[in-house]
Amino acid sequence: MKFLPLVWAGLWRRPVRSTLTALCIVIAFVLLGLLEGVNAGFARAIANAHREFLITNTRVRGSPPMPMSALAILRSMRGIAEAAPRAYFVANYRDPSPNSSVVLLATYPDLFFHLTAAGLKVTPSAVAALVHTRNGMLVTPPMLTQFGWKVGDTIPLQTTAVKTDGTTTWTFELLGTFDTPNSPTPSYFGVMNYDYFNDSRTADHDTAELFYVRLKDPTRATAMAAAIDTAFANSSHETRTRSQEQRAQAQAKQMGDVELFTDAVIGAVLFTLAFLTGNSLRQALEERAREFGILKSVGYSDGRVLLLAFAEALLLCLPAAALGLIIARLIAPLAREDIGSIVVSGRVAAAGLLCAAGLAFLGAALPASRVARMPITAALGRG
Amino acid sequence: MMRQIPVLTAMSVRDIPRRLGNSLVIVVGIAGVVVVLIPVLAMYLGFRATLQGDGRPDRAIVLSRDATSEDGSSLSRDAVAEILHAAGLRRDARGNPLASAEVVLAAPVARLGDHSDVNVTLRGVGPEYFALRPELRLVAGRMLRTGTQELLVGAAAQSQFAGLQVGDRVRLPQGDWTVVGVFAGGNGARESELIADAQTLMSAFKMDTFNSLVVALDSPSAITTLRNAIVQDERLTVTVSSEPQYLATASDPVNHILRLVTYAIGSIMALGAVFAALNSMYSSVVKRATEMATVRAIGFSGAAIAVAVLIEALLLALIGAAIGVAISYGAFNGVTISTLGGAVYDSQLVYSLTIAPRLVLSAVALACLLGLAGGLLPAIRAARANIPTLLHEN
Repeated sequence: MKFLPLVWAGLWRRPVRSTLTALCIVIAFVLLGLLEGVNAGFARAIANAHREFLITNTRVRGSPPMPMSALAILRSMRGIAEAAPRAYFVANYRDPSPNSSVVLLATYPDLFFHLTAAGLKVTPSAVAALVHTRNGMLVTPPMLTQFGWKVGDTIPLQTTAVKTDGTTTWTFELLGTFDTPNSPTPSYFGVMNYDYFNDSRTADHDTAELFYVRLKDPTRATAMAAAIDTAFANSSHETRTRSQEQRAQAQAKQMGDVELFTDAVIGAVLFTLAFLTGNSLRQALEERAREFGILKSVGYSDGRVLLLAFAEALLLCLPAAALGLIIARLIAPLAREDIGSIVVSGRVAAAGLLCAAGLAFLGAALPASRVARMPITAALGRG
Repeated sequence: MMRQIPVLTAMSVRDIPRRLGNSLVIVVGIAGVVVVLIPVLAMYLGFRATLQGDGRPDRAIVLSRDATSEDGSSLSRDAVAEILHAAGLRRDARGNPLASAEVVLAAPVARLGDHSDVNVTLRGVGPEYFALRPELRLVAGRMLRTGTQELLVGAAAQSQFAGLQVGDRVRLPQGDWTVVGVFAGGNGARESELIADAQTLMSAFKMDTFNSLVVALDSPSAITTLRNAIVQDERLTVTVSSEPQYLATASDPVNHILRLVTYAIGSIMALGAVFAALNSMYSSVVKRATEMATVRAIGFSGAAIAVAVLIEALLLALIGAAIGVAISYGAFNGVTISTLGGAVYDSQLVYSLTIAPRLVLSAVALACLLGLAGGLLPAIRAARANIPTLLHEN
C-alpha cells in the first residue's frame, strides 16, 4: 500500500499523455461494453427460451393456415402435455392506417399463458375473466397508452374482411392487461378468445396459423419436434416444428452473424488499443529509467521494480476501463429500442476488466522487464 | 513562411524513424478505424443498394390498404381483374396490360456458409414477369412452363443456399418442384428469390388471394391516373405506390438498425482515434521540444512549425488510411453475404460488399479529419514553445 503514492506520482509525471491514454481506454471500453452487451443480449434471449415449448408452424411460410383437426392429432401424441391454436387477428382502431392497427392473438387463453417461453405476466383473475367473456381481450400496457384505452372500455375494431353477420366491426370488452417482462422492446399486442374470432370470420374458418405445444419431457425436444413433423408429412399441411430456443437462435444468426461481426470489431479495437497503451507505457517507463536506477541503488530488487511498473500499468488501465464500462451501461438503454437485446451485465463487466488487466500486462511486459533488468550504472547514466 | 514549411516538414519526416513507435500510434489507430468502418459501411450501402436496385419509376405496386409490405397484403382475384382494366397501365398491341399478380411465400433452405436454417423468398409470378422486368434475363436452363411444378432460381440465391442447382428438386407441398433455370440481372433483391408460376403455386397451396400486383405504367407520371382510378374505389381498399417509393419504405426497419450501428460504432471509434492521434503528436512534440526551440531561435516562425506538425499528422493519418483500406479491400471486397431483409418477413436478402471508390474516398477524408483534429493542439503547443525555457531546461 505504501507504494501507491509512488505509482501515482509516476503516472502523473506526464499528465497530458496519461490523460489521453486513459481517455482512449475509456472509449475503447465503452465500445467493448456495448458490443459484448449485444452478444450477451442474444445469448440471454436464447437461454431464456425453455426447451419444453415448441411451435408447430406450416413448413412453407405464407402458405394457408392449418386445419384445427391438427390440434386433436397433436393432443393425442404421447409426450405432449398441452397444445393450443393461434390465429392472427389484425384490425384497425378508428382510421384504416397502419399506425392504428391492432394485433390480437386468437387462442385458448387458459392454455396460452402456460405455453410460451416469453414469460408473459398475467393475473389468474384476468385469465379467468377472459375465458368467461367471449368477446373479451387482454392487452399490453404500451398498447393501452398508444390508444388511450382504459380497462373496462368497450372497444370497436374494424377489419377489412367481412364478418359472418355482414359487418366489419368487432366489439371487444377490455378486461385487463398482461406484461412482457422478457421483451427488450415495448410490445404492442393483445390476446382474445379463439372461438369469438373463428365463429365470426368468413375466411379460413376452423384453421390456425400455428400451434403452441408444451412437452412433458424437455429433454426430448428435438425428437418430439421431428415426430410432430413426421406425423404431418405428406399431408396437405406439412409442418415445421422448432423449439422456441431454436427459433431465437436462428433469428440471431439471421441478423447476419452478429457474434462474428462484433467479435471482429472488438478484435480491431483491442489490437489498436494494445498498441497505443503499450507505446504510452513504454515511453513512460523508459523516460524514467534513471529513477528506477535510483530505486535499485537504494535497495529495490529487480522484481520489486517490475512490480512497480505493472502496478502503474494497472492503475492506468483498470479505472479507465471501469469508467468506460459504466458509461456503456448508462447509454445501453438508448440503443435498446433499436437493437433489441443489449445487456451490459456483471459478466460483461467482469470480462471487460479482465481484458483491461490483460492489456496492462501485455503493454507493460516488454518495457518493464527492460527497465527491471537494466544495470544500475546504465540506468543512472540515462538522461 | 511558405519557404520554411517544406524545410520543417522534411525535417520532421526524416526524424520519424527516431520516434517510430510514437508515430505508428496514429497510423495504427486510424488504420483500425478504417478497417472497421469500411466493411460496416459497405454492408449498409450494399444492403440499401440491393434492396432499392430493382426500383423503376414506371412500375407500380398495388397492395391492400391495411398493408405496409407484400406479405401482409391480400388482393382477391376479382380486385386484380378490376385493377387491370384501370387507366394509366402500359398495354401491348392487343391491349393486354403488362402486369404480374404475385404471391410471396418463404421456403426453408440451408445457407451454404454455415448450414444454418434460413428462409428464401418464393415468389409466384404471372406469365408477364420477365416482360415486366426486362433487367432480368435467363442465364442457364429454360423458362417456366405454366401448369407444371417448376422453379427458377435467382443467381444470388443459388450462390448462397444449398440445393438450388438446375435439376435439383425442392420439396414443397404437392411434391417436389424442379429447378429448371437460373435468372440474373437488375442488381436488386430479385436475384435473392425463387420464382414459380403463381397459378400453379396457388393451386398447390390452395390459396385464393394474391399478395400484390405489379404493373408497368404508361409513364412515371401515369401513377396519378392509376391512383385516381383505383384508390378512390371504396370496394377495392387498395393502395398504390411507385416501385422506388415502395422499396424505400419497405427497407426501413433493417436499414435503420444498420445505419444506427454504422454511425454509433463509427463515431465512438473516431473519437478514440482522435485521442490516440493527440497522444502521439503530443508526445512527438514533447520529444522534439529542444529541436523546435532551436529552429525557433534561428528564425523559423511559430506558425511554420505548427503547420509542419499538422502536415506530419496528416501524412501519418493518410498512411494509416491506406493500410486500413488495403486490409479491408483484401478481406471484404466482393464478399457475398446474406442477412434478413427479403421480401417476406423473415426471408433472406443476398448482397455483396463493394469497397467502392466513394467509400475509399470518405474513409480517406475521415482519416484526414482525424489526423488534423489530433494534430491541432500539439501543433499550437509546438508553435508557442517558450524558447529560453526550453533551451535552458535541456
